[in-house]
Amino acid sequence: MYKLLFKSFFRTKIFLVSLVLLITVGTVSILIGKQYLVKQEKTIVAAQEFQKESVKRILKYNDKDIGLLLYYLKFTLVKKPANISAISIGQSDVNPLLQAVTIRGLEGQKYDTDFENPSLLMSGNLDLGFVIIYLFPLVLIAMTFNLYSEEKELGTWRILAAQTSKKGKFLFNKLIVRILFVFAIFVFLMFLASGILQIPMNQNFWAIFFHSLLYLLFWSALCLFTVSLLKNSSFNALALISIWVVLTILFPAVVNNYVINKYQVPEALDAMVEQRDGYHEKWDLEKNATMTDFYEAYPQFNHYPVPEDRFSWIWYYGMQHMGDLAAKETSAEMMEKITLRNTISEKVALFVPTMHAQLSFNNLAGTDMVSHLSFLKALTQFHEQLRLNFYPRIFDRKPANSVNWEKHDTKFYIAEYNFSWIYLMLPTFFITIVITFFGLFNLRKL
Amino acid sequence: MRKNVIYLLARQLCTDAIRSKVMGIASILMVFLLSFSVYSGWENYHDQNNTRDAIQGEVQESWENNPDKHPHRMAHYGSFAIRIKHILSVFDLGMENFVGNAVFLEAHKQNTVNFSEASMSTGLLRFGEVSLAMLLKVIVPLLIFYLGFATIARERENGTLKLLIGQGITRKEIVFGKWLGLWSLSLLFLFTVFIVLLFFVVIESHDVMQAESPFRYSILLVSYILFFGILSAITILVSAFSKTAKGALVKLLGIWLLFVIIVPKSLQAIGYYLYPTPSKIEMETAVEHDLIKQGDSHNPDDPHFKAIKDSVLLANNVEKVADLPFNYGGFIMAKGEALSTKVYLEHQEKLYDVYRKQNNLERYSAFVNPYTAIKNLSTALSGTDFKSFLHFKGKAEAYRFKLAQEMNRLQMDLIPNKGKAGPNIISRDYWKKFPPFEYNFLNTTKVFKNEIISILALFLWGVLGVLGLLRLSTNLKAI
Repeated sequence: MYKLLFKSFFRTKIFLVSLVLLITVGTVSILIGKQYLVKQEKTIVAAQEFQKESVKRILKYNDKDIGLLLYYLKFTLVKKPANISAISIGQSDVNPLLQAVTIRGLEGQKYDTDFENPSLLMSGNLDLGFVIIYLFPLVLIAMTFNLYSEEKELGTWRILAAQTSKKGKFLFNKLIVRILFVFAIFVFLMFLASGILQIPMNQNFWAIFFHSLLYLLFWSALCLFTVSLLKNSSFNALALISIWVVLTILFPAVVNNYVINKYQVPEALDAMVEQRDGYHEKWDLEKNATMTDFYEAYPQFNHYPVPEDRFSWIWYYGMQHMGDLAAKETSAEMMEKITLRNTISEKVALFVPTMHAQLSFNNLAGTDMVSHLSFLKALTQFHEQLRLNFYPRIFDRKPANSVNWEKHDTKFYIAEYNFSWIYLMLPTFFITIVITFFGLFNLRKL
Repeated sequence: MRKNVIYLLARQLCTDAIRSKVMGIASILMVFLLSFSVYSGWENYHDQNNTRDAIQGEVQESWENNPDKHPHRMAHYGSFAIRIKHILSVFDLGMENFVGNAVFLEAHKQNTVNFSEASMSTGLLRFGEVSLAMLLKVIVPLLIFYLGFATIARERENGTLKLLIGQGITRKEIVFGKWLGLWSLSLLFLFTVFIVLLFFVVIESHDVMQAESPFRYSILLVSYILFFGILSAITILVSAFSKTAKGALVKLLGIWLLFVIIVPKSLQAIGYYLYPTPSKIEMETAVEHDLIKQGDSHNPDDPHFKAIKDSVLLANNVEKVADLPFNYGGFIMAKGEALSTKVYLEHQEKLYDVYRKQNNLERYSAFVNPYTAIKNLSTALSGTDFKSFLHFKGKAEAYRFKLAQEMNRLQMDLIPNKGKAGPNIISRDYWKKFPPFEYNFLNTTKVFKNEIISILALFLWGVLGVLGLLRLSTNLKAI
C-alpha cells in the first residue's frame, strides 16, 4: 500500500515544488552559513595580524616608557567560533566575535560593537535554522492541508470509502508518506550541512538534529489534527496558515515586545556615563582619592609610592580603574536584567515549540545571549589578568623589552556548552503527543 | 459605470464580510494586537526618550561643571550623543532596535554607537516585533486575502455571477464594485490604526523636534491607503482568474508568503552574500595603514609632521616651536584630528557603500513586490530607517569633531608653549560657552529623496492595479 501511496504522491505538483524549494533554499542557507564562517576566520586572521603589527609599531617609538606603550597597546580576546554556529547564527551577528582592549578602563571598551548592516540584522540571517523553523512547516502544511478534503472535493473519497473499511488508517498512511518525505529532505540537508560546514557530529549536532525532527513532528501533528476535523480545503488552508502566523510571527513577537518593555535597561546608559565621570573626576581630586580605593582593591601594590606633585602611571591606571569601579554596580544590574530577559523568554518558550526551537538552536550553537554574556565575563577576567601582569612592570618602570611580547598574541575563549536532553525535548514532545492523540481520536470516528 | 450599482455591490461585499466568521476572529485578534502594540509602542517611546533626555541633560551638566583645566583634558573628557526616538517610531519600529543608541564622543577616536536593543535581547527578536505598522504591513494584507479570495471565484462557482450579468450589471461594475468593497473593508483597519496614531502625533506636536510629524503622518496615511488599494486589486484579480475559490486562496496565500516573508529575507541574504562586509578590525587596520602612510604622529621624525613643523616655523619667522605665538601641541593635534577624521570618514563611506549595494537588491525589488515599497517608505517616514540612523551618526561625529577642534583651538590660543611662563589651565567658563549636542530629525524632503524608488514603485503598482482591473472588466468569465 505504501508503495502506491508514494507513487501517487510523487506525481503531485506539490511534491516537486516542495522538493525544489526546500533543497534550493536549504542549500542557500548552508552556503550563507559557510560565508559566515569564512568571515569569522578572516576577522580572526585580521585581528592576529593587527595585534602583531601594532605591538611592533608602537614598541618602536615607545620602548622607553612602558606605561605609555600600554596606554596604546590593544590585546585581543576571541570567542572561538564553532562551526555548528553556522546552522543557527542567532545573536552572534549582533554581538561581536572578538574584543580588542587596552589595559585602561574596561567598561568603556567592553560593549563596542562590530560593524554590521542593520538592514541585515533586522531581516535576520537565512540560516538552516530559519529554513527548519519557518519553511519546513509551510511545506508540511502545503502537502497535507487537503489530504482529505481534496479527495472529498474531487469525489474520489466515496470510491475509496467503498473499497476500504479503514478509512482513518488510509488517511494516516497518506500523512506518513508526506512526513517521511519531509524527514528525508531534512536529514539530507543536515548531512549536507555537516559536510560543507565541517560540523563534527558531536552531542550538540545530534541535539539539533533530534530536536528538529521533534519540531517537524509537532507540525505534522498539527496538520493531522486539522485534517481530522474533516473540513473543506479552504478552511484547512486558512486555519493552518493562521496557526503558522501566530506561532512563528505573532506570539514570539508579542513575547519579545513584552520582555523588552517590561525589563528596560536604562542601566546601560547610566553605566557608560558613570564610568567616564568616575575616571575623569579623579584628575581634579587629591591623589589619595584614587589611591585609597586602588590599594584597597589591589593591596599587593600599596608599597608603590605616589608622588603628590606630578603625574605617575600608578595614579593614572588607578584612576582608570576607578572608572570601572564607579560603574561596577550599575553594570552588574544591567547584566542581571539581560539575564532576566533571557530566563523569562526561555520559560515562555517551553509552551511554544517555535520559540523553544529557536532558543534551543541558538543555545546549542553557542550563539545565544547567555553565550555572549559568558564571553563578556571571560573578557573581564582576561582584562584583569593583563592588568595584574603589567602593573608591577609599569610601576617599577621596567624597560619595554623586559616583556616577552611574543607571548601576548591573540587569545581565545572557548565557550562551554551544557544542555539537558529532558529540558530540550520534553516540552515539545508532550505538546506533540497531546495534539496527535486528539487528531487520531477524531480520525477514529471516520 | 453607474455609481449607485458600484456602491451597492461594494456595500454588499462589506456586509457579507462583516458577518463572516473570519471577520469575527480577525477583529478580536486585531483589537488585541492593536491594544498591545499601542501600549508597548508608546511605553517604549515614552520611557526610552525620557531616560535618554535625562542622560543627555546629565551629560551636559557634568560637562559644564568641570573645574578649570587644560583644554585637552576636556577633549578627552568628551561627551555623549544619545539617539532620540521619533514619535512615529510608535507606529513603525523599523530598525529602531537594531541600531545603537549612545556613542561616546572624544578626541582622536570615532567610537561605535553602542547599546542597541538587539545587543541586549534574546534570539526571539528575530521572530520580528509587533508594531502598528507590522499589523498593517503583515497581518492586514493576509486578512484582505482571507476576506477577498472568494469574491468573484465563489460567485462564479455558485452561478450568481451569471445571474448578476444577466440582470444587466456590467462586468466593469462588478469588478470595480467588488474592488471598492474590499478596499473600504481594509480601510476599516487602516483608519482605526491611524486614528489612534493621530492621538500620539497630536500629543507630541508641541515638541519642535517633532514639528514635521503631522506632515509625515499624512503621507504615511496616503501611502497605506494606496497600498491597500493595490492589495485589494491583486485579490480581485487572482480571485477572478482562478477556477475555484480554493485555488484563489492557495494562490493568494502563496503570494503573501513569498512577498512578505520569503523574498525580502532571501534578497537581503543574497545581497549580503554578494557583497561581503569587512569586519571592524579589518577596517580599522586599513584606516591606520592609510594614516601612517600620510604621517605617523607617533614617530618623532615623521616627514609629514616634520614638514608641517618646518613650514609653520618659517611662516612665523621663529626657530623653535616654543617661540611660536600659539601653542604648538594644540596646533599639531588640530592637524592630526583633521587628517584622521578625513581618512576615517572616507573608509566609513566605503563601508556604507557596501551596505547600500547589499540593500539595493531588496530596495529595487519594490517594482515586483509592493510590500517592499511600503516597508521602506513606512520606516523612512517613521524615522526608523537606516538613513535616519546615519543622520544621527553624522550629527554625532560632526559634534565630536567640533568639540575636539574647539579644545585644540583653546589650547593654541590660551596655553603657553612648553618652557614658557603662564597658566597650564583655562577657566571653566569656556566649557559653558561650548553649545550642547542637539539633534534634529532628518528633513522630510530628504526622506522623499531617499525613498524615491519606493514611491515610484508604489505609484506604478497603483497604475498597474487599475489597468489590471480595467482589463478584467472586459474579459471576466461569467462561468
